[in-house]
Amino acid sequence: MSKPGRPPFPFVLLWFWLRRTLLVWAGVALAVFVMQIAVCGIIHDNQSVKAFLSFLNMFPSVVKIALGGEMVQVGNTPGLIAIGYQHPFVLFCFMLFAVGVPTGLLAGEVQRGTMELILSRPVTKTQVYVCAGLLTLAGMFTLVMIMFLGTVTALNIYDFGEPISLRLFFRIAINGGLLASTVGAIALLAAALFRGRNLAVGVTAAFLVANYFIWIISQLWPRMIFLRHASLFNYVIGPKVWARWPLDDMGVLAAVLLVALVTGGIIWHRRDLPL
Amino acid sequence: MKTLEVISLTKWYGSVRAVEDVTFAVERGEIFGYLGPNGSGKTTTLRCVMGLLRATSGQVRVLGQRVKAGRGTEHARIGYLPGDFHLWGWPRGRRSLKVLAALGGSDGARKRREELAERLDLDLNRRVGTLSKGNRQKVGVLYAFQHQPEVLILDEPTGGLDPLMRQIVLEMIREAAQAGATVLLSSHDLSEVAAVCGRAGILREGRLVECAPISRIVQQGERRLKVWFTEGTLTPEVPTDQLPGVRVIQQEPGTLHVAYHGTADGLLKWLARFPIDRIATPRTSLQEAFIQYYAIASDGPAAAGGRHNGGGTCS
Repeated sequence: MSKPGRPPFPFVLLWFWLRRTLLVWAGVALAVFVMQIAVCGIIHDNQSVKAFLSFLNMFPSVVKIALGGEMVQVGNTPGLIAIGYQHPFVLFCFMLFAVGVPTGLLAGEVQRGTMELILSRPVTKTQVYVCAGLLTLAGMFTLVMIMFLGTVTALNIYDFGEPISLRLFFRIAINGGLLASTVGAIALLAAALFRGRNLAVGVTAAFLVANYFIWIISQLWPRMIFLRHASLFNYVIGPKVWARWPLDDMGVLAAVLLVALVTGGIIWHRRDLPL
Repeated sequence: MKTLEVISLTKWYGSVRAVEDVTFAVERGEIFGYLGPNGSGKTTTLRCVMGLLRATSGQVRVLGQRVKAGRGTEHARIGYLPGDFHLWGWPRGRRSLKVLAALGGSDGARKRREELAERLDLDLNRRVGTLSKGNRQKVGVLYAFQHQPEVLILDEPTGGLDPLMRQIVLEMIREAAQAGATVLLSSHDLSEVAAVCGRAGILREGRLVECAPISRIVQQGERRLKVWFTEGTLTPEVPTDQLPGVRVIQQEPGTLHVAYHGTADGLLKWLARFPIDRIATPRTSLQEAFIQYYAIASDGPAAAGGRHNGGGTCS
């Protein structure tokens, strides 16, 4: 009696799911790419931006934090360009992909009843989980690269009269990608844990909102500054990234990502799916 | 050779028992019917066989390999049709089936798919979301059969199909078995089971309470006797207190329709006292046997226990 081998990796499923998510990916990619060019264009063309920023400096810190913290300073062109990396619209686009794709692929297929068909073919549950994870992580990192490409393109179009370091934006992009991938991993964990797609999306969204809230509170309320370590945003939006690769912060994000991925994988493999 | 073995399978969903200590085996080329009312544990058993659910205890062996949950054990050689078949709505039928077939790397699926689509009169160029319930079920049948599997696990395969298509699907099942495939067929449609299955198991509240050839299941039910008395003879009252196991189905002037369990000796000796014109013994259908079985089984475990083979075991 021969021992059953592990089925070959289901590249067909990976490809099928890739095609399904491609439209969302392309939409987000286009949005973040255009956003970078638009931000650079506005900064370059609009002389009143500087006046606006001087005006902005008079505002309380809550407004400045929401717009990018210390980066929003007159004369700090890279800081202004970086607004395009943390604008609420860009964050929303990234989170849309990070939350929507893994929950759609795992919980969505279960909810639709098609997971039963996928798993009735020579495919292991772990392979299915890996396919969803690969698409989420690869999708996030290609999106941040597209965002970075947007900045590169914009800097070739617009001359700001001063040298702009692309390395800085590459660092910010990679850090942002790591954050978004971590959110994606948490969404995968939620998709592995909960019955329905909506519940998984809701829990991940609640987690994100709580993180953002904690980060804002810790920035505004000096007594609560210790809370910043509890927020994922603390490890990506900070002055460290301006000076060097924030390896310690990246390590924290990578650790959370890994723990979420592995925990989700174990839960997904061990639990009976609500087929 | 036993292609499919279910050994002491038990599955609990939390504190709810789905199936308990179910044992049966299906041989190569055999079509085994799996019967039971809603919620009796049929689908749970099938999902455990497919490794889609983790058994609480016991084991399942398919094609000689022990099934491990979530590992896709021998799935390239198994054709599975879920009871509630759903497919992605937006791709065309052909595309969805192609993707699912390709997941198993099956050769020759394309040719077989086209042949079966023609046989089932199914347009695979239409998007699945636009298909009627019956046509979606046909896609499900194609999905299970397209890679010429050695084992077919079918949960209500003809649900939603018209009588003509039902016959074609049953014919496909018979042909597959004749070609050597092992078929586990779960169904509510007893005529369908009677038409294609050699043996069947009956599940009640998660326990396999009967497992025998169809002919024996039918025989184990009540037997019937219809008597026409000679003209002018009053139909006598049946002394049911003296004839245990006998019950009157219909009593009309000149005719008597009775059902009995066990031997007909006492009933015939009692009837011999009267002038009889003719006697008929109507055949009990599987459906009647099934209903009678549940009527008796619901009287209590003792009543059921007296009739099933081996307390949840069947080989």
